[in-house]
Amino acid sequence: MGRTIVVNPVTRIEGHAKIDVEIDDADQVVAARLHVLEFRGFEKFVEGMQVELMPTLTTRICGTCPHAHHLVAAKCVDAVFGAAPPLAALLQRQLLNAGSIIHSHAIHFFALAGPDLLLGIGAAPADRNIVSLLRAEPDLAKRALRLRSLGQKIAEVVGGRGTHPITAIAGGMAAPIDQDKLGQLRTMATEALDLARIALDAGKSVLSSRSELIELLPLSSYDLGTVNNDVWDLYDGNLRLCAPDGKTAAEVTSTQYRDVMVEEANAFSYSKRVLFKLGGTEVDYRVGPLARLNACGKLPTPAAQAELEEFRTRFGHPTHQVVLNHYARLIELLACAELAVKLCNDPELTSTSIQTQPTHGPKSAIAHVEAPRGVLIHDYEVDDQGLIHKANFLVATQHNISSIDKTLRLAAERFWKKPEAEFVNGVEFAIRCYDPCLSCSTHQVGQMPMIVNVTRNGQVIRQVKR
Amino acid sequence: MSKVQVSFEWLSGCSGCEMSIVDLHERLLDVLDAIEIVRLPILMDTKEYPKAQLGIVSGALRSEHDVHAAHEMRKSCDKILAFGVCAVYGGPQGAAYAHKPKELEEAVYQKNLTTRTNFIPNDGVPAMLPEGVRPLDSEIDVDLYLPGCPPHAYYVAQALKAILEGTVPEFGSHNVCFRCRRTMQPSEVVALRRSHDGPVAGDTCFLSQGILCMGSVTLDRCLAPCPQHGTACTGCAGPSENIIQEPHIDIRTEIANRMSRMTRIKREVIIQEMERRSKTYYAYAMASPVFRQKPTFLLRRWIEQGGA
Repeated sequence: MGRTIVVNPVTRIEGHAKIDVEIDDADQVVAARLHVLEFRGFEKFVEGMQVELMPTLTTRICGTCPHAHHLVAAKCVDAVFGAAPPLAALLQRQLLNAGSIIHSHAIHFFALAGPDLLLGIGAAPADRNIVSLLRAEPDLAKRALRLRSLGQKIAEVVGGRGTHPITAIAGGMAAPIDQDKLGQLRTMATEALDLARIALDAGKSVLSSRSELIELLPLSSYDLGTVNNDVWDLYDGNLRLCAPDGKTAAEVTSTQYRDVMVEEANAFSYSKRVLFKLGGTEVDYRVGPLARLNACGKLPTPAAQAELEEFRTRFGHPTHQVVLNHYARLIELLACAELAVKLCNDPELTSTSIQTQPTHGPKSAIAHVEAPRGVLIHDYEVDDQGLIHKANFLVATQHNISSIDKTLRLAAERFWKKPEAEFVNGVEFAIRCYDPCLSCSTHQVGQMPMIVNVTRNGQVIRQVKR
Repeated sequence: MSKVQVSFEWLSGCSGCEMSIVDLHERLLDVLDAIEIVRLPILMDTKEYPKAQLGIVSGALRSEHDVHAAHEMRKSCDKILAFGVCAVYGGPQGAAYAHKPKELEEAVYQKNLTTRTNFIPNDGVPAMLPEGVRPLDSEIDVDLYLPGCPPHAYYVAQALKAILEGTVPEFGSHNVCFRCRRTMQPSEVVALRRSHDGPVAGDTCFLSQGILCMGSVTLDRCLAPCPQHGTACTGCAGPSENIIQEPHIDIRTEIANRMSRMTRIKREVIIQEMERRSKTYYAYAMASPVFRQKPTFLLRRWIEQGGA
């Protein structure tokens, strides 16, 4: 008799989900699936809206990474009106993005994954949270919260708001960085760099002492990340697909995404998965911190590059240990903090030449950026009035859905016979390596209830619910 | 002093409201000292609905699950705070009001540019509400409201302070113009223009420049960042008190009155433009009964006729 385990809801990931684990008569796990239970329908909502509303409206797809939606929508409207932003605007956008990634990576590592890593997967559910972490590791937890605050405040100074920024517009940015703002930004970026260093060292020491944890979830996979002349880039560049052996399998621009990516729905989930067409075959792949480090030649800043070299020496290149996403996230945190300092020292940042006027009437456009969790694509077909005729969004978690399912299977094999709390958190731990944002993946958000069903031949034989 | 027990629930929204609480930054630790969080799905592993004095609900009602969760919160909490524009007014997914649920699903799963499958998920996924999206108080009694998308941490702190002291937080007696430093002045502008139609003057009211700005009909729950950073207000916090209280006042008539007095653009032209582009100008509160109860609010017809 085959059986299915369902975990519902998954807390500490943004959005709603349920997990199914299917086992065979010999108690072997044959499949595991993440079900996303929320649906909003942004693609339809935006039809008929004025395209210039997109940079602010689409931030509402996700409150954790609104900056990524803001920037990719701004890149689209630049192209819609043929208005390439001046250098100062590009520097501002990159700084906004760096702040955003600092905020998102810091909150993920310490508030979402931190309790697993620092308190242990076996810790009681009621204690496995940021409040307990503040009690157990007060100095580190407070510094982490401070680091997140700094990232969000940098995003707020540049973006006009922390959550749901507003300043990126067609052709550039709407407000210059004056000397007062620059002073604030410099101070914050410098402090963020110190704290990112501390965070990375702390994370490394936790992971180094627990090699069994690092090797818990090995998953050989393709990786997709953005590179600009072989250098890791979060704002602009080509999409590079890296094969499991580390060779570049494909490299395309954002506008080619329709040729290489195909989405498929699943009856049991509101989130679609994405496949990459490679020659005659189709492959699934991973996106996000680990995928980006695997796909790039190098990082743009010296300290982060040194860390990447150490990472590659220790774990190989590419590495397929899913848990190393947490480590990769901290290296990116350091890279973004270094980048923020560098951008603040660029004299062009305070230029008041921040917007290019449109050069043509509205045309359809496609763009992508790297959101904290991976590749984010917006695609707008617009009419001659500049109204959205059709829109398409491919978000990070969607690209990761196949890999998440495979990783869930690994975790289920390991944990499904364990006591209830350890089992549920074991599978949640697997999901959280991807830091999935289910808000984004269904273009909607909600709480994260969790049920794990274990089924055998369609019969539920174990159900764990929290 | 005993700590106030607080339970959080998150319906159909974006997590931005939760983030606005974390955006209390340094004050967050003080708040955590004053309250006991008994339920917080994004950060804690508690999945049931423990008893609490205050229930903070963000997000709109979108699915059967959301309706169930709303009732669980009402049962387990002494007071319910509707937090954010989605809970209060329906939020951006309120645009579902303009479509049949089937159309939304088709756009994502069947008539989508890069999707090759041709079916709508139906195996164990919660059904969407047939009426699209509803604000929280259409289902349960709400005691307190804090709109905003998200409300700025300044107002979150103010509201939490009021609640902890046992008083009712301010709903929002000012509109966005209250904090905007731009100057309203008469102009010879003869036609409406969009934000990308040429440079925008930094110190003059957008309405004076012929650009539709929602500031005068939108609650200040944000400290007015948009007009201070060179962009017009898009109305994300939801309609201001005068719109709610007066059945004959709507955002399009209110803006048209103001703008037509300051410019040479005719009132009727402004009203017509906002109706034609109603999905843009009612983007955050379309699902709210505040509008539906107005006799002249014909959003579905405008969308049909105007293409938007």
